[in-house]
Amino acid sequence: MLSRVADSLYWMARNIERSENNARILSTQLIHMLESSDQSVMDRDWEEILEICASKEEYYERYARLNRDTVIQYITLSPANVNSLQNSIVYARENAKATRDHIPDELWQLINRFYLDKNSQQDLPMTPQATQTHLKDTIYMSMTSQGIIESTMTRGIPYTFIKIGKWIERAEKTARILNVICEKTIREKSCTDTENYYYWLTALQIVNGYDSYIKENPPTMNPKDVLTFLIENHNFPRSIRYCVDHILQAVHNLESGKISHYSEDLFQLLAGIQEDMGRTDIASMSVEELMAFLDNFQDNCHKVSRIFSETYYLVEPVHASH
Amino acid sequence: MLKNYQTGSFFDEMMDPSGNPKPHYDSFYQLIRQISNDDLRDKHETAQLSFLRQGITFTVYNDAGGTERTMPFDFVPIIITDEQWRKIERGMRQRMEALNRFLDDIYHEQEIVKDGIIPEELITDNPYYYKKQVSGLEIPLRNHIFLAGIDLIRDEHGEYRVLEDNLRNPSGMSYVFQNRYVMRQVYPELFFQHSIRTLEHQFKDLHGALLSHAPANRSAQPCAVLLTPGMYNSAYYDHVFLAQQMGIQLVEGRDLIVKDDIVYMKTIRGLKQVDIIYRRIDDEFLDPEAFRPDSTLGVNGLLRAYRKGNVAILNGIGNGVADDKAMYAYVPDMIRYYLDEEPIIKNVETYFLRDPEQLDYVLDHLEELVVKNVGASGGYDMLIGPHSTEEERSVFRRKIIETPSQYIAQPTIKLSRAPAYQKGEFYPCHVDLRVFVMNGKDSHVLPGGLSRVALKKGSLVVNSSQGGGGKDTWVLAEGGMNHA
Repeated sequence: MLSRVADSLYWMARNIERSENNARILSTQLIHMLESSDQSVMDRDWEEILEICASKEEYYERYARLNRDTVIQYITLSPANVNSLQNSIVYARENAKATRDHIPDELWQLINRFYLDKNSQQDLPMTPQATQTHLKDTIYMSMTSQGIIESTMTRGIPYTFIKIGKWIERAEKTARILNVICEKTIREKSCTDTENYYYWLTALQIVNGYDSYIKENPPTMNPKDVLTFLIENHNFPRSIRYCVDHILQAVHNLESGKISHYSEDLFQLLAGIQEDMGRTDIASMSVEELMAFLDNFQDNCHKVSRIFSETYYLVEPVHASH
Repeated sequence: MLKNYQTGSFFDEMMDPSGNPKPHYDSFYQLIRQISNDDLRDKHETAQLSFLRQGITFTVYNDAGGTERTMPFDFVPIIITDEQWRKIERGMRQRMEALNRFLDDIYHEQEIVKDGIIPEELITDNPYYYKKQVSGLEIPLRNHIFLAGIDLIRDEHGEYRVLEDNLRNPSGMSYVFQNRYVMRQVYPELFFQHSIRTLEHQFKDLHGALLSHAPANRSAQPCAVLLTPGMYNSAYYDHVFLAQQMGIQLVEGRDLIVKDDIVYMKTIRGLKQVDIIYRRIDDEFLDPEAFRPDSTLGVNGLLRAYRKGNVAILNGIGNGVADDKAMYAYVPDMIRYYLDEEPIIKNVETYFLRDPEQLDYVLDHLEELVVKNVGASGGYDMLIGPHSTEEERSVFRRKIIETPSQYIAQPTIKLSRAPAYQKGEFYPCHVDLRVFVMNGKDSHVLPGGLSRVALKKGSLVVNSSQGGGGKDTWVLAEGGMNHA
C-alpha cells in the first residue's frame, strides 16, 4: 500500500476518534455544569475542557474571557481551533476522500453526509439543545463509522492502519484526561469526599466508562480503583493498557510476527511501554508519581506516533488547504 | 405530460413533430405516463441528492475558492437503436485507427506532411507537439490512444457528426456508470420492457487494454497505476472511480520517484516498480525536468524512464497535436489517407481562418457561424453567432483579424434536442454524446456513453462547468424492445 494512503487512513481514524472524544467531553461537562453556579468553579471547569479538548493557551491568545458560548463555539465549530469538531470532520473527510478506493463506500458516504448535513446547519442558532444534538450526532457518527469498518473491512493493511490510528488517539486522550483530573486533585488537596467523588465520576463519564466500571467496582469512586480501571484494565476498550496491547498486536500482525531491522525501533518502544505498565502498580502510587507516569506515557504516545510514521514512510497528513 | 411539448424546427430524439413518440421511445413514453407528477418531482430530488452524498462532484473554482458541485442529472434517457449504434461503433473504430496512425506518423516519418495532405505549420505551430521529447520512440503496441472521448452531435436531419476528438485526458466515464446506477436505483420501473446493453463487463475490457501496454522487457505481472493531480482536481471522482474499478493504485506525483530511469511508487514496505502509468495529468505538468519546470504535480525523470522504454505512459505524450480544433478538420483526410476509406461518421463543416478566402467569408457571416479558439475547450472563448450581440461579434472580429490561425468557424448546427424534466415540467434541451473508446491489444467502444444536455432553456453549451447536465444513454440490445 502507498505510504500516503496509509497515512491518510491513519489520520482519518485519529480525527474521527478525536471528534467523538471531544464531543463526549463537552457534552458531559455541559450537563454537569447545569448544577453549578459558582463562577470560579465554572471557569475552572471550562479551562479543564479546553485543556483536554484543545489548548488553553491558544484560546487565551484569542479571547480574554471564558464565556460559555465562546468556549462552545471554539470547541465545536471554530475554524481557528485545529482540534475543533468541525476541523476534525473536515480532516477526516479529506483523508477519506483521498482514500476512497481503499475504504468501504458506506464509510465515505457516512462521513460525507455528516459533513454536508452539518454544513447546512452551520447558520442555525446554537441553543443548548441544538448543541447537545450536534454533540450526540458526532458521537454516533464515529460509532457508526466503527461499525462499518468492523463489519465490512477485510482484516488487511488498510484496516490495521485505521485501527492503530484509533488506539493511539484514544490512549493519548485517556492519559490526558487523567492528567488534568490528577492535577485538579493535587491543587485542591483539601477537597471533600463529595468533590472527589464528582471528579472521578466525571473522568469515567467522559471516557464513556461509567457503566462498565460500576459493574466491577463499588460506586464509591475510590480514586485508586478508577485509575486502575482506566489505566490497567485489560478488557475495557478505552483503558490505556487495552489500547497499548492492541497497537502492539496490530503491528505484530502487520509484520507477520517478524521483527525486521526497519521495524525494530517501533517494536522496542511498544514492548517497553507494555513492560512499564506491567511493572507499575497504580494502586500504590502517590498522585505525584501518577502524574509523572501519565506525563511519561503521553510523551511515549507522541514517540509511538512519530516512530510509527517513520517506520512506514508516512508523510504529512492531508490538510484542508485551498 | 408531454402534451405541450414542441419539437420546433429541431430534430428531437424522442418525439416527432406531430407530438407522438418515435417508435424506439414508445415503451418509455407509455411508462412515464403512468408516473404522477408528484412522484416525478420526488424522484428528481432523490436522484440529485444521491450524487451529492456519494460525493460525485466536480470542483468549480471562482474568486471565493472552490465549490463542490454535482452535475445535474436528467432522467429522460437518450435511447439509441441497435442499428444506429452499430454505425457509430464502426465510425469510432475507424476514426481511432486513423488518428492513431496519424500520431505515430507525426512522431516518426511524417509521411502525411510530405505527401502534402496536412500543412506542416499546423504541426510545428501546435503548442502540444512535443517533437523534442517524444519523436522517434517505439511505444508499446504503437498505440498512442488508450482512452478517447469522441463528442458526437446530431444535426437537424438526425445525422450523427463528430464535433470534437478528445485524445488527451477525456473525463466523464464515471458519470456513464453513475448515471446508470442512479437511474436503476431511482427509476427502476422505467427499465421494464426494455432490453438494454449492459455496462457491467466494461472494466474487464478497460483493464485488459491497460495491461496490454506493459513494456516488453517486463515479464512479471505488470504493475499499473492511475496518476491523478489529486483531490482538488475537478475530475478527481473520475480518477477514483476508474482506479477502483480496475483495481489499480491511485497515485499522485509525490507518490512516485524515478531512480536510474525506473519508476517506483513509495509504499509502506519501501519502493515498488511501476510499469504502466495511466496518467490524468496533462503533458506539460508530467515531468518538471522535461516540460514545465514549475509543475508540482509531476515526477522528475519520468520522461527519461519513458524514453528508455522502462514505463508505459497512457495516453501517449504529445497527443494534443491530433485533437485540437484545427487538426479536427483534417481527420476525414487522415481516414482517406491511412485507411483508404470514406469517413463513416462525418465531421461538421469547418472554415479555416488562415485561408484568406474563408476568412473573408467568415468575417462577413459572423452572425450565422460558431467561432472557436483552436486551443480552448470547455465552451470557453467561443462565439455563437445567432445568439451574439453586435458588441460580442466586434470583439471576436478583432481577435480573429489579430490571430486568424487561432480560430476556426463552423456553421451553426441545429443540435438535436430531447425532452428534459426539470422543475416539474418537460421542455426540449440540446444534447450531445461523448462516446468512449478503449484501445489496447483490442479496441472496445463503451455502449452508449455520456449524454450531455444543455439544461438552461435555449442554451447550446452542454459543458458541466457551464450548467450542463447528464443523462443516461441506452443502447437497445439486438432485437430492440421486448413488447411484453
